[in-house]
Amino acid sequence: MTDARQDSYDVAVIGAGMAGMSAALFAAERGLSCIQVGSGGGLLFASGLLDLLGVHPVAEHRLWQSPYAALAALAREQPDHPLARVDAGSIRSAFETFVTALAAAGLPYAPLGERNRNVLTSIGTVKTTFGVPRSMSAGVDALDARPSCLLVDFRGLREFSAHQIAATLGRSWPGLRYQRIEFPGCEVVPELYAAHLARALEAGETRERTIARVKPLLGDARAVGFPAVLGLARAGEVHAAFEAGLGVPVFEIPTMPTSVPGLRLLGALEAAVSARGVRRRHQATVRALAFDGNQGTATLELDGVPGGERVRARAVVLATGRFSGRGLKADRGEVRESILGLPVQQPTSRETWHQRNFLDPSGHAINRAGLLIDDAWRPLDADGKPAWPRVFAVGSILAHQDWMRSKCGSGLAIATAWAAVDQVARQLRVTAAG
Amino acid sequence: MLFQTALYASLALCVLGLVWRFSVWFRVRIGPDARDVTPAQRLAAVFRGATSALFSRRMFHVLAAFFLDVLLLRRLFAQARLRWLGHLLILVGFTLLLLMHALAPLVTAKLFQGYQSTLDPYLFLRDLFGAMVLIGVALLLIGRWRRRSGLPQARRSIDAAFVALLAFALVTGFLLEAHKIASPRAFYRMADQFIGATDAEKLEPLRAFWASEFGVAFDDLSGPIDANMVEQGRQLHRDACAFCHAKPASAFVSYPVARVLAPVTGLLDDARADAWLLYLHVFACLLGLASLPFTMFFHVVAAPISLLVNSAAVNRDFSAQSFSSEARASRRALALDACVRCGICDLRCSVAPIARYLGNPGLLPAHKLITTGALACGLLPRSGHEDEALRAADGAFLCTDCGRCTSRCPVGLDLEDLWEAGRGDLAAAGLPAPAQWLQARPALAWAESLEPGPWQHALSDAEATFAPLAADRGTFSRCVQCQTCTNVCPVVAHSIDPEHGVDLTPQRVMNLLRLGLRDLTLGSRMVWDCATCYQCQENCPEGIRVADIMCELRGLAVRRLGAVRGWREVS
Repeated sequence: MTDARQDSYDVAVIGAGMAGMSAALFAAERGLSCIQVGSGGGLLFASGLLDLLGVHPVAEHRLWQSPYAALAALAREQPDHPLARVDAGSIRSAFETFVTALAAAGLPYAPLGERNRNVLTSIGTVKTTFGVPRSMSAGVDALDARPSCLLVDFRGLREFSAHQIAATLGRSWPGLRYQRIEFPGCEVVPELYAAHLARALEAGETRERTIARVKPLLGDARAVGFPAVLGLARAGEVHAAFEAGLGVPVFEIPTMPTSVPGLRLLGALEAAVSARGVRRRHQATVRALAFDGNQGTATLELDGVPGGERVRARAVVLATGRFSGRGLKADRGEVRESILGLPVQQPTSRETWHQRNFLDPSGHAINRAGLLIDDAWRPLDADGKPAWPRVFAVGSILAHQDWMRSKCGSGLAIATAWAAVDQVARQLRVTAAG
Repeated sequence: MLFQTALYASLALCVLGLVWRFSVWFRVRIGPDARDVTPAQRLAAVFRGATSALFSRRMFHVLAAFFLDVLLLRRLFAQARLRWLGHLLILVGFTLLLLMHALAPLVTAKLFQGYQSTLDPYLFLRDLFGAMVLIGVALLLIGRWRRRSGLPQARRSIDAAFVALLAFALVTGFLLEAHKIASPRAFYRMADQFIGATDAEKLEPLRAFWASEFGVAFDDLSGPIDANMVEQGRQLHRDACAFCHAKPASAFVSYPVARVLAPVTGLLDDARADAWLLYLHVFACLLGLASLPFTMFFHVVAAPISLLVNSAAVNRDFSAQSFSSEARASRRALALDACVRCGICDLRCSVAPIARYLGNPGLLPAHKLITTGALACGLLPRSGHEDEALRAADGAFLCTDCGRCTSRCPVGLDLEDLWEAGRGDLAAAGLPAPAQWLQARPALAWAESLEPGPWQHALSDAEATFAPLAADRGTFSRCVQCQTCTNVCPVVAHSIDPEHGVDLTPQRVMNLLRLGLRDLTLGSRMVWDCATCYQCQENCPEGIRVADIMCELRGLAVRRLGAVRGWREVS
């Protein structure tokens, strides 16, 4: 399974965003040999927070404290929503498997539990989410209890303002203070970048000097918040050192994307899938995908590999995302699926893609466009039949969902990947037995 | 008398030339660190170094180098077998020819009693040695032809003339010998001297024998020769000639030539070919002797010395650090002379494709060695040759210091040390590296002098071919300004000094490109400080070739300005 020359795999995952990474991870955990094609760059836009389902229905913007209750409501009221096709037990298993793998790759999460949590954003608003990195979990508690709390930022780091957060929340959180400090060693640098600070803080000396600058400002603070720059590859170690040095709970607040938590997530997922023997072609794109008969294999022709490459796989998982992931392409007339040219469920004309009001609470029809699937997660062709027996589609490319407004991006990716990989395993077993 | 005078004159020229070339090793200053060292200090340092090596264990390294590197050409063997064979043939053939043939009265005659050039084995050996040199030269020429890469090879016309002279001396030598074998005139002269030419009774059988067995081309002897006559002649030959004459067939090159020349031997005899061939042969050899120190064939002296000097280095990696700065200065000058212009470095050079692309052979090591020498001797830059200096500077600063030239050099020259010194000299001569002068001004100031009018948004056709990524909006239009490139950039991360740090971050460079303000980026420190680590390109979520674009922008800036013009603008 780990032979470098192997060019034939059980499953080829196209896409390396949240859904593609999840599919590759779950496939490898099931012992399937797997190749993954595509850049994980999209993950850099992630905040590290794992949403499951926060809002339902979208038009009412109803927030749920229990994601599983929200899922049950979704299943009743929108049965064609992809998340409605996955049972709660599978979703629990999928999330547990996912965060366990991340923890093993050096990115620990707070225990998931059954409830959504509220997290501070870098502009002082509150976001509802489900999975919270351990480095941010003290912020959830602080936001709930609102004790005396200090927010720290660094002069020159333009993407994060403790002042702004405190100004937004100050009225409902009287104990919230903010302080701006100089980042050690960068006193004359006009502009700072989060990832560079994160790397710098992995050096013990910079860390100690930062802690020493914050300590006199603590006062009666019972918790301290920082922009999410506390380490990159060794974030756990840096966070622990800050808590030990300051003697109070320390939490990170995600900065604007692309952010350090996004870099951490990308790094941890890359490490997790690679450690499980997944072959990665992270600079490649799929030029062509062809199928050899009904029960045969798929052949992927790759671009972006020196000299090109051909890969054969018994099953294909399409996790190519929407427009920014380039899984869907839109032109003046219509939206098309970019690799196989699969039919895309979409509004009949371009005039009906969007509402008149950009911020219309019910969202836009184009955002719910996507691939239709059968019960086994196989995208349908123009006749409503599976396009090929072992092509599966997961993540945001699926129709009938508006993950941004539902706050269900990670949940959609992880849960559908889990369910589809389950189908992949089944299908391959059937083929092997037959 | 004429020969003697010519010989002494040539010898004197040769010795003067050698002294001059040796003196260069102590006079020429290459590199900034050589500037404050006097010739006397250098001479003393070399003397000190040589004595300390002589009386230490390093002497064994020197001895090993002498046998393996100097005599057996070990380093060339590792690089090119055919050339090694050719070179070894020349080395052995020429040395033995010199000792046995040219210096016969001094060497061979003293060592071997009864030496006669017309006796075996000397007769055979002379042809053998001559043939070895000829074959060797042919092999090297074939090798040179096979290696032609489209770029001019580093050589001077005087060196080519010297090769022609060497070949000419060999050919005239063979012709002279061939003519003497076939010449009736030479036969009669010898016959007259040893048996009395008037005695027809003796002369006829001897003629018959020499015509049939020794290939003398008598024009009055035709048709089958009487066997009895030949037998009589053999007796006479045994008594009078055999002491000095073996069968010329053992001169395996000249004898067949003599047979070919037989029909015209009479004509040649009448034209006194023996005399003028001798003159041509001797004067060619003497001219070679006199001019040797002034050609690159001086390497027959310099290359062995260079090999031995390097073998005496304290550090076994032969690095420049093994030598004092005084000795280093001399070692560089010695390297200039020891280069054999074999061009192996050019073939292995990492930037050779760039040299081909730019059409500037000044990038290639063998060429660069010549310009480094010219620069040190004050021959560059000179008025009327600014272009040459500019090309030399371009070449010097495009070198990546990969060290392949040094590791492959069959003479073991420390070329990296030479390049570093040469760059120092270029900077001192007013030709520093583009990155140096480009940083003297902010990007905005450069943008103004890079373009005559308002900043051009489109590249000219020539520039677009040269910089296809920068010319194509599709390359960077997908940029969403997410700042990932800046976040992962180690140059930005280490840029903690606003005075000299980066001015534009990578994502700002991309943004200027998107806005069509490309010329604003050309002189920016970000573009010129880029370490080409490719982190930006690897991590870009939109798959934009950020690092490749940076490279193009640097090339574009240099192309627009030219190194000399750009530097003059800031100086």
